Amino acid sequence: MKTLILIPAYNEAENIERVVDHLEADYPQYDYIVINDGSKDATAEICRRRGFNLLDLPVNLGLAGAFQTGMRYAYLHGYDCAVQFDGDGQHNPQFIADMIEAMESKEADIVIGSRFVTGKKPASLRMFGNNLIQFAIKLTTGKTIKDPTSGMRMFNRKMIARFATNINHGPEPDTVSYLIRCGAKVCEVQAEMNERIAGESYLNATKAIQYMMRMCMSIIFIQWFRKKEA
Amino acid sequence: MDTLRICLLLISILTCFFVLRKIRKSQMRIEDSIFWILLSGGLIIISIFPQIPAFFSRILGFISPSNFIFIAIIFLLILKVFMMSIHLSQLENKLHSLAQKYAVDHAKSKEK
Repeated sequence: MKTLILIPAYNEAENIERVVDHLEADYPQYDYIVINDGSKDATAEICRRRGFNLLDLPVNLGLAGAFQTGMRYAYLHGYDCAVQFDGDGQHNPQFIADMIEAMESKEADIVIGSRFVTGKKPASLRMFGNNLIQFAIKLTTGKTIKDPTSGMRMFNRKMIARFATNINHGPEPDTVSYLIRCGAKVCEVQAEMNERIAGESYLNATKAIQYMMRMCMSIIFIQWFRKKEA
Repeated sequence: MDTLRICLLLISILTCFFVLRKIRKSQMRIEDSIFWILLSGGLIIISIFPQIPAFFSRILGFISPSNFIFIAIIFLLILKVFMMSIHLSQLENKLHSLAQKYAVDHAKSKEK
């Protein structure tokens, strides 16, 4: 399968070199593309200097917009699957092989790199939010997604086409729940994640709560009414 | 039930349906639709339970609950217009930098 790793990067100057170097050195079998989402720091400069594959957005579109840019690129270049991958080094590329394997053997449309297939969920505030979203998805789709907030997801060709062109297809749990309702097959594969090494996380406490509220609202009230499109 | 309440109830239900239908057709971003869903939901709730606006109008010293509802809605809408104005400015700004980048890049590629 022709695989593309999408790396949306917003102000990731401290991390992007390490992440892409690791991919280039140890995983040359996968293509990758960095999508610079109008960063204010030197992210784009570093990518150009090092000759990384780069899509450079001149203005900030937000994660959903940057991700869609990558999906459009994957669609136009005929990739069979695309992996959503963080620019801060949280995700381990070693699990991509397992995800591809699962996608092929289970004929899944979406494969989530999940921390909790075999691992146990720790009891923390952040995991309470995770559970809340898991419950909302269970309520509206009947499916159990053990790690809905995992940012490491793989999409097949059919999903790439959808994400590339449609409105309201951000790379978030609410889209996953909507796609399940539209008949997409989702499976999870165990993956370990790292703590971020440098730079600041986008999610502080207030933003995390806002995010959880928005996701729960969206999954329970809005995705429910959205027209199913197979 | 007095006429005002029935009107409010009918209109809020219609608004809710209208908003949901537009979202169904994917004509609006989810982030933007949340405000409208909450607003139309809130309108339905206050028209079913008029005790809520009555309580607030009493402790805030309004002559009647309908005055309170008017002022509350006007205030909400002013806030919304203000937020939209900020949003519009940001969009305009982005459009400008896009157009400028296009022009600069275009000039650069001609020089070569």
